[in-house]
Amino acid sequence: MSVHLKLSRPNRIYRPSELLEGKVIVETQSSISHYGIRLTIKGSVNLQVRGGSAGVVESFYGVIKPIPIVKRTVEVKSSGKIGSGTTEIPFSLNLRQDENLEKFYETFHGADISIQYLVTVDISRGYLHKSLSATTEFIIQSDKGDLLQRPLSPEMVIFYITQDTQRHPLLPELKSGGFRVTGKICTQCSLSSPINGELTVVASAVAIQSIDIQLFRVESILHGEKIVTETSLIQTTQIADGDVCRKLVLPIYVILPRLLTCPTIFAGPFSIEFKVAIVISFQSELSKLHKKSDSRTPRLWLAMETLPLELVRTI
Amino acid sequence: MEFRLRNYITENQSHALPRLRADAHPLSPPPQPLAQVNVVVDGGNADFFDPLRGGIDNDAKATPRDPESLSEVSSDQPMKEWTSFRRLLMQRFPVSKMVSLSSMPDVLMRSGKSHDKSSTSMHLEELDDPQKFADEGVKVITWQEYVSRLHELKDEITRSWLGDDRVTSLKLSIKVTKLMVDTSVSEFYPTLFVLVTDIMDMLGDLVWKRIKQKAEFTENGASLCNLAENFEASDICADAKETCYNWFSKIGAVQDLLPRIYLELAILPCWRFLLDRPTDSLQRLVMMTRGLGDPVASAYCRLYMAHCAQKLPSHDIGYLVTCVNDLRVIVTQILAANESTVGNFKNNKKMQISLMEPTIEYIMKCLFSGLSQRRVNEVLSELGLMKNQQNLGTVSCVSIVLHHLLKEIPIEVISSNVVHILHLIEFNKDNSFDQHLNYRLLGFRLYERKCPVDIVNAVLDKVMQVISLYVNLDEFLSVVDAYADLILQNHMDNHLDIILRGISERASNGGVTVNEMSSLQSLLVKILSHFECLEDVFCLNHFPEILDVMHGKSQDVVFLHILNMATRNGPIRDPTSIQLLSEISQTLHDNMEFMNVKDDDSQVARSVSRFVHMVDYGTEMERHLAFLVDCRATFGRFNELKETLVHSSNSLAIQSLKCAKKDLSFFKSCVTFSEVTIPSISGQRQFDLFLETAEVAFLGGLVSHVDGLISSGIDCLHDRVDGFRTPADVEGLVSSIRKLCGFLIMVPGNISLPVTYFPNNLITLISSQSWFDPKMRTQIFSAILLLLTTLSQKILPYHANAQIPGNDMLYYGDSSYKKELVSLSKVVLDNLLCAIQQETSQVARGSMALEACNCVASSFLLSNELSSICHTLIGTAKSCLSAQDRCLQSTIQLVNKQLPTFAGVEVSNSV
Repeated sequence: MSVHLKLSRPNRIYRPSELLEGKVIVETQSSISHYGIRLTIKGSVNLQVRGGSAGVVESFYGVIKPIPIVKRTVEVKSSGKIGSGTTEIPFSLNLRQDENLEKFYETFHGADISIQYLVTVDISRGYLHKSLSATTEFIIQSDKGDLLQRPLSPEMVIFYITQDTQRHPLLPELKSGGFRVTGKICTQCSLSSPINGELTVVASAVAIQSIDIQLFRVESILHGEKIVTETSLIQTTQIADGDVCRKLVLPIYVILPRLLTCPTIFAGPFSIEFKVAIVISFQSELSKLHKKSDSRTPRLWLAMETLPLELVRTI
Repeated sequence: MEFRLRNYITENQSHALPRLRADAHPLSPPPQPLAQVNVVVDGGNADFFDPLRGGIDNDAKATPRDPESLSEVSSDQPMKEWTSFRRLLMQRFPVSKMVSLSSMPDVLMRSGKSHDKSSTSMHLEELDDPQKFADEGVKVITWQEYVSRLHELKDEITRSWLGDDRVTSLKLSIKVTKLMVDTSVSEFYPTLFVLVTDIMDMLGDLVWKRIKQKAEFTENGASLCNLAENFEASDICADAKETCYNWFSKIGAVQDLLPRIYLELAILPCWRFLLDRPTDSLQRLVMMTRGLGDPVASAYCRLYMAHCAQKLPSHDIGYLVTCVNDLRVIVTQILAANESTVGNFKNNKKMQISLMEPTIEYIMKCLFSGLSQRRVNEVLSELGLMKNQQNLGTVSCVSIVLHHLLKEIPIEVISSNVVHILHLIEFNKDNSFDQHLNYRLLGFRLYERKCPVDIVNAVLDKVMQVISLYVNLDEFLSVVDAYADLILQNHMDNHLDIILRGISERASNGGVTVNEMSSLQSLLVKILSHFECLEDVFCLNHFPEILDVMHGKSQDVVFLHILNMATRNGPIRDPTSIQLLSEISQTLHDNMEFMNVKDDDSQVARSVSRFVHMVDYGTEMERHLAFLVDCRATFGRFNELKETLVHSSNSLAIQSLKCAKKDLSFFKSCVTFSEVTIPSISGQRQFDLFLETAEVAFLGGLVSHVDGLISSGIDCLHDRVDGFRTPADVEGLVSSIRKLCGFLIMVPGNISLPVTYFPNNLITLISSQSWFDPKMRTQIFSAILLLLTTLSQKILPYHANAQIPGNDMLYYGDSSYKKELVSLSKVVLDNLLCAIQQETSQVARGSMALEACNCVASSFLLSNELSSICHTLIGTAKSCLSAQDRCLQSTIQLVNKQLPTFAGVEVSNSV
């Protein structure tokens, strides 16, 4: 005896204005009677605050009360009987109700903040039998109407990375030999298209080991009086491997990972932002002894430039 | 037993066929039946592929191809080329047994083995710091192990794909592509590339098929649509697009650059599900490849790109232009680094460039295949090679890139820009490729199509000027060799003179090496082939000196050419030529022991024989004979040649007979020369040569010589058994013996010898030698029987000439003569009947019996005894052959006709 949910779209992506459609599939050896089949949709922002980087005392650690977005239950079938074998019960329900204008944030799975939408089916069978239930996640993407109305700025930010732009200590040979890497990168970016840009190694006395584009998320939560911010690396994309030719333009092309990114949000109790960093590793004996690490721990053989990245949903 | 009397003249007249005029030449091809034959062949042998008829058949077969397979997105042709290119690529770099890696990737370790090796502590250490663990030293793995591991990985990827575990397939594929990062495997890298890209292609196929399936069928298997070859992105349902996008996202999330590029290339055709113009991705990918710092890795990545792009239905070649330009920058950088370093490092650079060369070659090929001339010019200017014709000196191109460019651009473009190209060659002198080889290539390219003389002149003036500065003979020769055809074709005698002098000067300075020798050989052969007449070649300045510096195999080749050229047309009369050619032949003869290949030897022997045959001293026959004597002494090792000597001396003898003043002693010397030469010839030819010489001697009236020669001929059959192995040899011998029988009719009897001396000898010989099989015996005995019958006639059918009387005159009316003939006939007849009985094959026995019966019936008056023999023979034939056999029927007719009427017993025609 089992029950599960199958949504109409294989990628499970729905917009708030759309109908959530699918089937409840019940498989049973013998026919069962029930007191109604109900579907519940529930969306919420789950927050947690950890110690560590925020420097908050241990006692702060813990889950903060989630922020509800939506919770609604609908009966798809009133009490009755389900015959033996496989039974499919189709359903279809509105996600957004007219009177209720809650903000449907896009689905996001971060380290401290997670925005999740679930649909649950319950088949209650009275007090004598255990009720059957199944839950599945569906993904919310913003409505077309809610999208940013102004066009994306096509402008790119120009960056220079030299030995003098670095705020952390560098290897002596880097300091003396010097290097210059320039380029441009877009800092406002649609979630459905890659981060574009280009980069040129103009000069470098020390051979280059690797150039990587690192994508960070910055999650901030208002916790009491304080804002607790956590920055974490979500993706590294290498764009140069080894000592590349000088003065040749290299493209920056980073496809944004799904679920791990969402439109930049500034809500009252929390915010989700993104940053992009260009990290240059130089060849040195020292670097061989260490694993690749993210740029938040500056090393002697690394040079970097970090820029804020605004992500938006476009059509 | 009594011989039948024959009247040859009337018999000849009655048996001769009437002559009719023919309309068509018997050897002209029959006009119609060809088509019919073709039909039969086609029907009976469908799987045989005739390349000449391939065109029609092939197309028909190609149409019902499996429509599912991906590789046929575009035409098959580039894929075939790719397959052969891959094979050549693997063969090009010999791989040593062990492959050394800068670190051992765990994907190469078999799960079982790695357990044995690493204890828990090592595991921990590895986890703690994997890179340190890997860098401890150079790791080695055997070549076979590496390859077999890759095959295993390919299987694993397929297995997990089929098991619906596509994530594992992708993960393994990423690991496989990571192997391409390590170029320290050097010579193994091309092989690695071939194996890895094979896996990538397979993965690309699987992804393509999966998305196509999603686009064409629903989850339940119901058909959605049928995608045409040239479908558009709008034909694809959202679900399939979603899956496709997912693949690009997953691959986009791969951290390392090189695996990311390779994987996107593998699924490059899948962009068609999302975009109508997937070409933009190529331009981005080629730019991304610039991020690969290792020159070899980045060059091979571009190679794979050129291959994958061909799977797209149409693509702009802009990305290839970028590829070539980037490769040029990379090579320039390698070369620049070269100057600042020394020793071992330099070798490494050389290795890098040689590893990169095939990629440049293939990309150039893709770039220029099927371009219009206008487009070629555009591409050249995009490559920065045509922009500013004014200051050519500044155009930099790297000679290795230039070389492959020159190889691929159409000849029209070369000839219309030849001055420019010469400048390019001149100003691109670097270590990546030898400059003189580019000059050489230009020479070959220009010869491909007839070029205007002024262009050829301009090029040659420049090239001659350049090579005049070359000190090295090898470089000089390799350039000259390429231009020789042009020079000869345009009759530029002054240039020819200069190059010959150049060679002669450089060769005299420091000898000629093996490499140089082969270039020299090629050049000399070209010159020889160009001229009609040998004298013209020898008139060239320095030619004889150059010939003198040649040695070894190349010398033989050139000499053989000269020899063949000399004997190509007409007899050789000039004594100097004869002298020169003799010397050349002698050198070839003396060098023979260095040549082990049999073909070469027999070719040399044939050519020398031909030369000897062609020599003609005209009326100075004495000198000619002396020449033949010399030849016999000099060319002892050519068996074939001795035969020629015998023929030549025989024909010399005949020639002397025809002369106005007959010189019998000279004639005798010729015959004697032949007579003493024949025994030194090995093999089955002796008998024929003895016979031929005997005939010549007979013509000159040297009857005693004739007897001796015939005896020697018959004797030589005693010891020469091995020679007659093939059926053709045997048949040849039988017909020679028959010829001897015919010849013996004319030879007069010798008082000191019995009348039947030679036939008797023949019978004794044949009876004593077991290797004469029954069929041969039947044929020879029949011939002897006919010989004896003929000798018994009052008038012989033919005579030699008036000077030599025939046996019909010598033994006219001599009864003991006839008696002897009869008694020998009896012996022969017994032998004949005996031979027929020994034959095992039925059909053969039947026809042998018929032959014997015909022979008996036409030779003798049929007494009772003989007619019963005839009946027996016909009986044998009837039991062996079908009643319809024409020969059987005509033999029965003959016997019936010959039977005296009183015998009264007709042979029944029925069986």
